Amino acid sequence: MAEHTVAAFDEDLGQISRLISDMGDLAGSMVGGATKALLNSDNALAQRVVSDDAIMDARQRELDDRAITLIAKRQPMADDLRHVVGSIRMAGDLERIGDLAKNIAKRVGTVGLSATPRDLSHSIDAMAQLVLIQVQGVIEEYAARDAAALAKLRADDERIDVKYTSVFRELLTYMMEDPRNITACTHLLFCAKNLERIGDHVTNIAENAYYVLTGTQLPANRPKQDETAMSAPAA
Amino acid sequence: MSQMLSPDMTIAAEAATKAKIEVKNLNFYYGQSKALKDITLSLPERSVTAFIGPSGCGKSTLLRVFNRIYELYPRQTAEGQVLLDGQNVLDRSQDLNLLRTKIGMVFQKPTPFPMSIYENIAFGVRLYEKISKAEMDGRVEQALKRAALWTEVKDKLNASGLSLSGGQQQRLCIARTVAVKPEVILLDEPASALDPLSTAKIEELIDELQADYTIVIVTHNMQQAARVSKQTAFMYLGELVEFDRTEKIFTSPREKRTQDYITGRFG
Repeated sequence: MAEHTVAAFDEDLGQISRLISDMGDLAGSMVGGATKALLNSDNALAQRVVSDDAIMDARQRELDDRAITLIAKRQPMADDLRHVVGSIRMAGDLERIGDLAKNIAKRVGTVGLSATPRDLSHSIDAMAQLVLIQVQGVIEEYAARDAAALAKLRADDERIDVKYTSVFRELLTYMMEDPRNITACTHLLFCAKNLERIGDHVTNIAENAYYVLTGTQLPANRPKQDETAMSAPAA
Repeated sequence: MSQMLSPDMTIAAEAATKAKIEVKNLNFYYGQSKALKDITLSLPERSVTAFIGPSGCGKSTLLRVFNRIYELYPRQTAEGQVLLDGQNVLDRSQDLNLLRTKIGMVFQKPTPFPMSIYENIAFGVRLYEKISKAEMDGRVEQALKRAALWTEVKDKLNASGLSLSGGQQQRLCIARTVAVKPEVILLDEPASALDPLSTAKIEELIDELQADYTIVIVTHNMQQAARVSKQTAFMYLGELVEFDRTEKIFTSPREKRTQDYITGRFG
């Protein structure tokens, strides 16, 4: 991409790109940290994730300020306009990913009190790995300006939905088997739901990133495989 | 460019819009120098079309071909076709006075005649029509109302047109154009010498006038083109690079040259 005649315009856009990249890295580290803390009952790590959310919020506010100022000062057009508006929207999704990771981290203490958190959370580990790959992938593919990879990544969210359905069923089974598991499993269900929501925010980011890069929208309908609403077993 | 370029109208109602002006394989020369290169495009009726591009790209030249005003100058020639409702205005048999009543023009700098506000409008009408004083009064009032100037000047119609502010003078020129009942209005940088408030009034006026007239505007202000027009043509070095719906041009243009120009990455 050629440089703007006004060099400061490139600097302003570059700062917005750097903030998105920073927020993406932070989101990956928070999601990774929160699930690791959950699986290892690591309260110190969980606390770090909680405090990282304040940094995420500050980054989003800074990005909003810079984007609004850029629009006012430079009246961006075409790909520049898509870049700025897309960044505002992506930052919103990254900030929500931070919130959901924080929510997982805040449950670490409660789940850790349960006798067998490690066994119960085994399948969550596999789900969290899928989510983490998506979070890291979306920022990498956007930085690499690879629209085709973003379209594929968006479709890959289906695997998280399928996994979430299976985690949901598994946790319900543990609860039915032994009512003493109910407290821990309920928290784990929320954690699984948060991971599933993080996956949805990643698809939003992929859609925005795709639009920023190509100027066209991905088709509205994406396969949805979350069947938990229909899968409650009979008591 | 042999194929007719017309904006990709996705909405059925817009697609049904009839072409008011069709330009076919138009070339234009200033002496030996070729200023327009094989331009082909179609301008829909009762709609605003903007021409954008860097200085010297040919956008004003193209505008000046539509009413053949270039013929006032020596050694300027046009080849090809410019069809107004299917009639080629470049035909030698074309009556130029009649053409210029059908296609009015407003220039960058307001150019009121050194006469009263009333006479600025009546003068042009008298050239083409013989009407009574009462009818003329009605025509002047109607034109000034169309140009959103009536309430500001109705009590001083005998004052000189030159006594008005720049923005008012420009609206007076639009009133003068409208008074002879044209079908097409050409605007060559109509607001570039005006303050933001006067510019806003002109833009509001353009928005209202498109219900009755086919409007073509040349502007260096891209936000203005984005605000007022339905379709935009980007020209560069005498070529028509891209012509499409205005939203498309300013959000995701097809051509890299268009993108570079509107995002400020040129040269």
